[in-house]
Amino acid sequence: MPDRRSLLDRRLLIVTGKGGTGKTTVVAALALAAHERGLRVGVIETGRESQIPGQFGHTLPDPGYAGCALPEGPWTRRMEPYAALAEYLRLQLRIPGLVTRLLDQPAFHALLDAAPGWRELITLGKVWHLEQARERDGSPSWDLLIIDAPATGHGLTFLDVPRVVVGAVRAGPLNRQVGLVEGMIRDPEHTLLLPVTLPEELPVRETLELVARARDEVGIALDRVVVNACVEDRWPLPPATLAGHLEALPGAALEGRALAHAVTMLGSRSTRQSEALAHLSQSTPLPLVRLPQLVGPPIGSEALRTLGRALVTEEPAR
Amino acid sequence: MIDPTATLLTDHRVVACLGPGGVGKTTLSAALALGAARRGARALVLTIDPARRLADAMGVAMGPEPTEVSRAELAALGVREGTLHALMLDSKHTFDGLVERFARDPATRERILSNEIYQHVSDALAGSSEYSAMEKVAELASRGDFDVIVLDTPPSAHALDFLEAPERLLGLIDSQFARRFLHPAMSAGRFGMRLLQRGTEPLFRAVERITGLRFLEELSEFLLIFEEMSQGFRERADDVQALLFGPRTGFVVASGPGPTQVAQALALEKRLDEMHARVRGFLVNRVRTWPRGVRGETPDERAWDTLAPALVSSGLDDPIAHAAATSTRRAFESYAAWARRDAEATSALEHRAAERGAFLRRVPERVGDVHDLAALTGVESDLFARNDREESR
Repeated sequence: MPDRRSLLDRRLLIVTGKGGTGKTTVVAALALAAHERGLRVGVIETGRESQIPGQFGHTLPDPGYAGCALPEGPWTRRMEPYAALAEYLRLQLRIPGLVTRLLDQPAFHALLDAAPGWRELITLGKVWHLEQARERDGSPSWDLLIIDAPATGHGLTFLDVPRVVVGAVRAGPLNRQVGLVEGMIRDPEHTLLLPVTLPEELPVRETLELVARARDEVGIALDRVVVNACVEDRWPLPPATLAGHLEALPGAALEGRALAHAVTMLGSRSTRQSEALAHLSQSTPLPLVRLPQLVGPPIGSEALRTLGRALVTEEPAR
Repeated sequence: MIDPTATLLTDHRVVACLGPGGVGKTTLSAALALGAARRGARALVLTIDPARRLADAMGVAMGPEPTEVSRAELAALGVREGTLHALMLDSKHTFDGLVERFARDPATRERILSNEIYQHVSDALAGSSEYSAMEKVAELASRGDFDVIVLDTPPSAHALDFLEAPERLLGLIDSQFARRFLHPAMSAGRFGMRLLQRGTEPLFRAVERITGLRFLEELSEFLLIFEEMSQGFRERADDVQALLFGPRTGFVVASGPGPTQVAQALALEKRLDEMHARVRGFLVNRVRTWPRGVRGETPDERAWDTLAPALVSSGLDDPIAHAAATSTRRAFESYAAWARRDAEATSALEHRAAERGAFLRRVPERVGDVHDLAALTGVESDLFARNDREESR
């Protein structure tokens, strides 16, 4: 406890990773863990469909931009760039009719459709806005915000937009506001990037690229890498040898080929996993948090609670 | 028996492989192209891939022109007549290339390349790499150097970005907003923001209040120069649309075996259908399944009790045999759970495929990563395997 800070001490966690790494599961597990520690936690989903309720096994109506509380407690909302833009423009211009006129223009939509970066920017702006929100007593409305970041090419384009915009728009309110967003992202006391990867060669290679770029280009803090879907990698004898014995099993009580196939597949996976983990730990000083492979979704709240505990309390090994 | 995968490749000039991220589109695309080459075609696989996975797998370099995969290596894998090329577009430089080509004269080119907005946004410009890839496909398809081009679609946030990219780029240029609010400024030239004094455009001023004037000046110039290039864009974009949504292109939707990926793949197929794209098949990658002839039924307790003694009699020492029996049981139960889940999750794709008369191929999970041609051949054989093989479990 003394040196290393818990993940939940931050105000903003940005969970990133390629599609299929189980990023959303990690987000759901963290949100549950935070809620059960008494934090007011809000999830911001960036996909077109909300996936957090499904992790808990709920089929709820889409929480939409306004968001909703899950039965387990955490809030989740789905970013809708146009809704966020409308909200932003209303706050900025303070002339409701004008905003409506602007947003009703098909031409304005055409421009927005083609314009790069504004979706990412408005998403981060909304996060900043949520982070700034205060209750009557002055306490933050949200103790912890967790972004389920888009699973794009290398997940960082999303975070790099403010830097680019501050460069392109060099004066005016937008510059100032984006500067605040950029400051939030780069404040290591405040914000942490949490990469989620799989114990396989390509995901690990991509994660290493991401870690390097996150530090060098975006300047965002990282303190651990989550390796999801790890299988048991201790075997009493080499899986290939075991599979050989199983293939040759006499008698009809057990289907030797089925057992051998399962052992071969799991064995191959654990070999790749060991190689990938070795590569990862040799190439980055960041500690690794290993999560077990679970069958889902839905993962269900019981298993999410177990994952959340592993993520939050387990001191990752150096 | 007719192999629908082979038919897909002979019936179309372009086979576009779409799917959610992380399902292995690149591997599947390369395996499709390899299969086409095995059937005698001059095949090309085209990808926009920052991770250079395909290059690694095929032993070719990244570059703006197709590179041929060594014929000797292909021959070693049994490919005799056909050829296989790979093309990996580096999205970083694609937009500069478009400017080079479509700019009216060197001065325009210089102006655009030195425009500050361009410099900041060209990497990220909506759909620029997708647009360039599409354009390259149209160009290569018209050249006739290849019988079939397999297109590995980029890992965009939304898998359809690449189909919509040409429209969106044109949307930017054609935008009435750009015309109405920026054009007067553009015509007035760089220093003539007289528009502001006109005071008739509250919307313009509203935007200006947020972004600052300088940004709008730069944006004006950017759009103005961009507009000059629009004719070239427009013609090419029409070619691309005609190619992709015409009879020469067939789409396959790739998926992983999990419920989330299956749901994404189905949503993608739905949208493709709405766009009148010809979806011919579904490919499900890395499915955990039992080999042919294996039942994979869960043994009862009594049967499990026989495992350790059986391993002892097969020559393992006693303590190791017991540990091995425990490991085996754990492995079996885990794998069986995944096999059940994968079968259940992918049945939705199977229904949809049957409903629309498309084919479905399940590619079983492999032992080891696919990072060489030999491993790619394994995926290929699963993609082209006859219908009755893996469906019979």
